Amino acid sequence: MSRFAVFRSLAVALGTISVVAACGGGGGTTSENLAADQTLSFPIVDDVGNTDPGKMSAGVDIDIFRNTYSGLYKFDDQLNEVPDIATGPPQVSSDGLTYTYKLKQNVKFSNGDPVKADDFVFSWNRAAAMQGDYATLLNVVAGYDDVANGKATEMTGLKKIDDYSFSATLSAPAGYWYTENALWTLWVVNKKIVLAAGKATDTAWADNPATAIGTGPFKMTARTPKQSIDFAPVPNWYGGSTGTLTKVHIEIVADQKAQITKYESGGYSLIGFAQGSLTPEDVIRYNSDSQLKKQLTLEPQARTSWIGFNMCEGPGKPVKSCTAASPFGGDGNGKLLREAFSLAVDRDQLIDIACSKGTACIKATGGVITKGLKGYLGDNTDPWAKFDKAKAQQLLQQAGGPSAVGNLTYTYNTSAQNKAVCDNLASQWRANLGVTVQCAATDRASFFNARTKCSYPIFRHSWGADYDHPQDWFDFLFVTDAGSSGSCYSNPALDQLEKNANTKVLSESLGDYKKANQILVDNCVTGNLFYGVQQYLVHPYVKGAGGNPLYDNYWAGVKILQH
Amino acid sequence: MRGTLLYIGQRLVLIAVTTVLVSSIVFILLHQIPGNAFLNETRTSPEALAADLRHYGLDKPLPTQYVAWVSGVLHGNLGESLVNRGVMITPLLIRETSVSFTVGFFAILITIGVGLLLGVVAALRQNTWIDYGASSAAVVGYSIPNFVIAIFMLLIFGHYFYDWTQGTVFYNVGWGDWTQIPVPAIALGLPYASYVARLTRASMLETIRTDYVRTAWAKGLKARIVVLRHALRNALIPVVTILGPLITGIITGSVVIENIFGIPGLGKEFVQSILARDYNIVIGVFTFYAALVGLANLTVDVIYPALDPRIRY
Repeated sequence: MSRFAVFRSLAVALGTISVVAACGGGGGTTSENLAADQTLSFPIVDDVGNTDPGKMSAGVDIDIFRNTYSGLYKFDDQLNEVPDIATGPPQVSSDGLTYTYKLKQNVKFSNGDPVKADDFVFSWNRAAAMQGDYATLLNVVAGYDDVANGKATEMTGLKKIDDYSFSATLSAPAGYWYTENALWTLWVVNKKIVLAAGKATDTAWADNPATAIGTGPFKMTARTPKQSIDFAPVPNWYGGSTGTLTKVHIEIVADQKAQITKYESGGYSLIGFAQGSLTPEDVIRYNSDSQLKKQLTLEPQARTSWIGFNMCEGPGKPVKSCTAASPFGGDGNGKLLREAFSLAVDRDQLIDIACSKGTACIKATGGVITKGLKGYLGDNTDPWAKFDKAKAQQLLQQAGGPSAVGNLTYTYNTSAQNKAVCDNLASQWRANLGVTVQCAATDRASFFNARTKCSYPIFRHSWGADYDHPQDWFDFLFVTDAGSSGSCYSNPALDQLEKNANTKVLSESLGDYKKANQILVDNCVTGNLFYGVQQYLVHPYVKGAGGNPLYDNYWAGVKILQH
Repeated sequence: MRGTLLYIGQRLVLIAVTTVLVSSIVFILLHQIPGNAFLNETRTSPEALAADLRHYGLDKPLPTQYVAWVSGVLHGNLGESLVNRGVMITPLLIRETSVSFTVGFFAILITIGVGLLLGVVAALRQNTWIDYGASSAAVVGYSIPNFVIAIFMLLIFGHYFYDWTQGTVFYNVGWGDWTQIPVPAIALGLPYASYVARLTRASMLETIRTDYVRTAWAKGLKARIVVLRHALRNALIPVVTILGPLITGIITGSVVIENIFGIPGLGKEFVQSILARDYNIVIGVFTFYAALVGLANLTVDVIYPALDPRIRY
């Protein structure tokens, strides 16, 4: 072959190779290049309170450990309730009392033990016996009272059918029970592991990474109390892929400035997971800069804050906890005063000042149930959430003028936002009503202690939804003798409406819950101020982070790109 | 020597008694504050609250709780955290004390090292620009609170250094390796170094004018020998006197510094446990602090005989 022919052949070959390389997949090139270090790191302000699902109650703990434990059902990132370990929705008997659950047969704990019906029955019984804050989720199950009182160890309503199915018989129909099935108190724990570590109700097994065995895609690998917690994906997780993360590192750093400094030096992937938040100055700084704003995500948060009015009309009236009459109690002048105080607040001004120009909260105009949750009445449906100075003054005069309220103190638990809210409220009431209200801050524990005894005439109140069902609001806040009321409100009509609604499935009861919500609005039981906003600060190279009104996104969906 | 050992023994007993007394007072006072660690904004039912109180023995009469607590302390068991279930307090506080001790130790080194250096240099170069500079730096140092210095250092070393060096050299908030010690140690120790510098300068000025130091100069001894062996040793006595309170100040100052720098030490625990009504940890922290302050003062007292042989116990 001539030299020219050789060169021509080589040239053709090289050209062919180049064309193929240009047109082909390129081998290792993907649209998202993952970083070599797939560690997700973020800070929390304080260490987790309880690592045992049976005792868990804090949002921080739940957001973290929903990645390591799971149950029959779960809420996906859009808050839809979907089967997790269950094969599908429960079979419900015609009387609405018996729920039968079937388990997937491939589910395993992180140590490889298969999940059986025994584990679920054990988990639910121990949760009832442990009497954590959310043990009452199980109080509709027959036999709960005896277990709660220590007279029995097992609820008569829980029955294992076979290795992969069991039933729960309720003492009365409860339409919200299915929603509650997806909550953390009903997550499954490994019966063998728990009993090997001690008694059924002991929690030490959950604190130790070696024995904290769950069914989630991640497991705890290290914990230095008050300093850090580490997690890693479960090898060969039964549910399939655990995502790309190889480690999750959580640090306990109390100071938010220190957190943001470390975030900005690349030490954290994000801030905001597990209910983290930013200082008002930092949120405004990020929100005001066109480049930095890309890192800030503001998600509606299922929390409402309102002015709490003490509804006591006299000692023991309307409830036993009342020790004295409050100016805001009753349906006469008390109602006029509640309406006046609510109408006198310009919520746009409040949000601007107290909520970092709307980055920490949004106006509440649709009733006490947060926007986006079931039972929300709709935008601008709360007539007392509108600012109307003239009407507010007229109502105040009808009620007897400023002297009708006397010396008022608005009490709140100490926090920067609560102080800003109170200062603004006091200033608006002074300007718009001519009423002087003092602000008093007290520490959290003292505040809640006094508030549950209806000790404050006017106070800060707030509720973060535990799950997307109106029952969660009414049963704990607005029925007579509700445990977290603070206002000692009592309305037999609302009690009855709520009681009836609770027995029906949500599709049938939602109308009743909305009626109950409307009763609250019509009577101005709460001076609704704002709905919460969860702030996430996420580096551009972290994908999949964020959350819904109730929870953070699962870690399995997060990935770290090259940067 | 025998006298010194006896003195140390007596002081140790006194420290133990003081520690028990302080802990007991804190125990009683804490339980008078309304509220408890379990009340929060979630749905705490009366049954759940009763179960928690029962688990921790908080439903028993106060004298019974006190006896149980004393019994636990005598066995080295300070109990379990009320807020962070399962966290045992004794190992937690031991670990946090070691963290605080690490930062505090380097802070004391900075306090003494920088303070003595500035003070000696200022004294030896009295009425020169070196003296004026060192004295001015000392005044600025003790005028600025340590938390202000801490925030500035966090901004400079944590934020600006990161930008200037493209992330190569900067202070990384938190705790885990030795690079996280210097910045908080400087923030903690610098204000106290200023006190030491001023006191050292005044003391040195007095000492270098004494006859024996003048004699040492006249004999032609090297400056290093005159200053370090003759003058400084006696000039240190007033400095050692304030070292006890200085160390106490560093211990208590760590409360703010640890919170700002995210250091998991005793100071951070102190603040958080009080706010959370975590009785057990609060009492444990006070116990540790009382013992630490007592031991720090004892250490200072033991140093005196080394400096001045005339001092004997």
